[in-house]
Amino acid sequence: MSEANSTIEQITPEQAVQNSNSGKYDAVIIGSGISGAIAAKELTAKGFQVLVLEAAPAKSLSYDGFKQYLSNYYANSSKDNNAPYPANPNAPMPRSTDVSKLYLGQTSSKGYMVQNGPLALDSTYTRVTGGTTMHWEAKILRMLPDDFSIKTKYGVGLDWPIKYEDLMPYYRMAEREIGVSANVEEQGFYGIKYEKDYVYPMYGLPPSYLDQVVAKGIDGAEFELFGETHTVKVRPFPQGRNGIPNERYQSGSGFKPVGAVGAVQVEQGGRCQGNNNCVPICPVQAKYDARKTLFDAAKTGKMDFLPQAVASKVVVSKHDNNISHIEFKHYTKTSSPEHTLGQVCARTFILATNAVENARLMLASGLPSSSGLMGKNLMDHTYLLAWGLLPEAAGTMRGTKCTSGIADFRYGTSRAKQAPFGVDIHNDGWGWATGSPFSDIETLVDTQNKFGKELRQSTVDRVSNQLLFAYMVEQAADESNRITVDPEYKDALGNMRPIVNYNLSDYSKAGIAYARETSKVFFQRLGAQDFSSYSLLDYGSFQYQGESYYFRGGNHFSGTHVMGTSAENSVVNEHQQSWDHNNLYLIGSGSMPSIGTSNTTLTLAALCFKTMEYLVAELGSYQVDVVSDTTFKTVKGASQ
Amino acid sequence: MNNQQHQVSQFTELSGALTDFNAFALHGTGQVQNYFQTLNDIVGKGIVEQLLNVFEVVYESACDEQGFNTGIRQQILGDVKLGPVARNIIKLWYTGTWYQLPHAWRETFGKSEHDVTFFVSSAAYTEGLLWQAIDANPSGAKGPGYGSWSDAPRINFDNRWQFVKQH
Repeated sequence: MSEANSTIEQITPEQAVQNSNSGKYDAVIIGSGISGAIAAKELTAKGFQVLVLEAAPAKSLSYDGFKQYLSNYYANSSKDNNAPYPANPNAPMPRSTDVSKLYLGQTSSKGYMVQNGPLALDSTYTRVTGGTTMHWEAKILRMLPDDFSIKTKYGVGLDWPIKYEDLMPYYRMAEREIGVSANVEEQGFYGIKYEKDYVYPMYGLPPSYLDQVVAKGIDGAEFELFGETHTVKVRPFPQGRNGIPNERYQSGSGFKPVGAVGAVQVEQGGRCQGNNNCVPICPVQAKYDARKTLFDAAKTGKMDFLPQAVASKVVVSKHDNNISHIEFKHYTKTSSPEHTLGQVCARTFILATNAVENARLMLASGLPSSSGLMGKNLMDHTYLLAWGLLPEAAGTMRGTKCTSGIADFRYGTSRAKQAPFGVDIHNDGWGWATGSPFSDIETLVDTQNKFGKELRQSTVDRVSNQLLFAYMVEQAADESNRITVDPEYKDALGNMRPIVNYNLSDYSKAGIAYARETSKVFFQRLGAQDFSSYSLLDYGSFQYQGESYYFRGGNHFSGTHVMGTSAENSVVNEHQQSWDHNNLYLIGSGSMPSIGTSNTTLTLAALCFKTMEYLVAELGSYQVDVVSDTTFKTVKGASQ
Repeated sequence: MNNQQHQVSQFTELSGALTDFNAFALHGTGQVQNYFQTLNDIVGKGIVEQLLNVFEVVYESACDEQGFNTGIRQQILGDVKLGPVARNIIKLWYTGTWYQLPHAWRETFGKSEHDVTFFVSSAAYTEGLLWQAIDANPSGAKGPGYGSWSDAPRINFDNRWQFVKQH
């Protein structure tokens, strides 16, 4: 068998149903993204038997299958963040290209995610094997300790039932699983603590030339904010992609990076090569994605994997209010809605589909939570983009998407009045804001009428000098931002689609407005020409104190099954266990009561490790065998 | 040289003049034949022949580079029929994308069913000249290697097209 075709063995729906009826499964896991994959890996490593249902096909688990994504991406005239991933009406996904401006009272059902407004949200997720880690950027920050108690400290949003210190050991596990490249001495700021002698698995990625140009111009800039001085310093980000292993990791035992899935690992998936394409697909698989973890789970021989099976209903037993089974629809072709119905049962049920889909599935199953909070408190990071042209060629369009940023507005007493934010320096220039560099070529040729020598020089001046700041602004929990369902909106299989109800508070807007002010100072200091403009016709347009802005979604859906201290104030407890149904776990960023100014994946992965430790203890009331790695099986042609 | 070869050679020269990349750089992309074919398929052989003939006349009649550039502007880029086609050739080379021709052009000179915006091939995307111009790799391909992004870009014009007047 060719290495390029090696993949994870799959079972049939009939086998899944039969196995589950005979009591084989300790857990059924819905979804094979990072949460589902970690759950599968942690449980199977302890000898528990799991069944993973994945809504999408699993062709990408082979190396050849993955390469097809890449080919799709190159040829797709839209380069949006789901461009490599084929449309699948049986398990559709939101695409930013489906989003358009909403006028007062308007609902748009053009995309999979129905937009009920008042603002349109262009955030997406990816419903493929491996989930949204297939398209994620893999910038991977810990939250600040303050972020866990914003209600107590600043009177906004919600507090967590746990603290930063409680998550510290699990952050380490997540950083190991993902394979994080960062230098610990560059990351301990604004309260972030590490255990003594901790180092990241790999050394930090070198900052881009652009970062160095920007740092030279803005390092040391001071901002007075509510009586505190914030001094700017450009710092590198931790990255979920392969760098140079740190020999000091784990007291000198080192770290072995995980290469490409389904390929000869010495040849592919090594160090980041600077393809500048982390989103939507890393062509060499240097970037972590959840398939890497899923393969580890498969190696135990304790994971049954059933792709093309869309969970359609969570069913509660009247007898004890536990989950009795989950119904699913299995299809054979994405081009046809024909499917078979099945149901599976297990000792525990783990929903790991993502913040939107977990809530959607529960609401579609008629389970709004006794707290009434299912689907509510939807949060996302709100992005403001500011873009300008530097006076010199800064080598834009090289490196990973983003190597450095600014953390100096993430903290402070101003959080009582306006949303804090982190800042990314984008190595891919104005792409997010204007569609660069292709849009630049269109402008130069069609509007500025350049050709020949003039065109070539203008291309350099227009593209290599680009600078874009992406301001990632915190959004606090607000029950009116929420996911709902309605039988009027269904997908091809007849499953109800998610409806998003979304708005920005004045707290968010104040943070965005201040972010814009800092960008003006940065451009001045750099001698850069400010090209930022925010059209009223843009789908993200809004006004604040007489000024126009637009925002972009951050693809960081969270809060929809929030964790808390009681069944009254939350959907799940600190173990992401449903207050209503003892044998049900809703895992992922949906459990997060606040998201601070950190991309959510590291924290949700840490939470997942914490939950699995608890669940292993819960399930471990009876003896199981721990398996060795030797039972790993591969099969050919699972994609046929 | 048969007529087809001559045309391809003229197409390469025209492309060079429009993009400022010499024939060596253009051939290095492996796309010359591919783009020539795409152009013929979409706008038709007649218009391609006319474009290349005008180019040849402009080239032959120009005394110097300035005169040549004026000729390109006035007789090709500023021509109602040939201008949009020439601009499409530039964008094709720089991005690998064939852009649908403007509405007015399509109304007057014919609509091909193939005239939609598309990447000519997966390879066309990765061979876009804009990436070479800025000393970067195409996003998602030809990764230049770990840490290479820390150095200043080495932008140069060594492979630019030259106007050479034959005497």
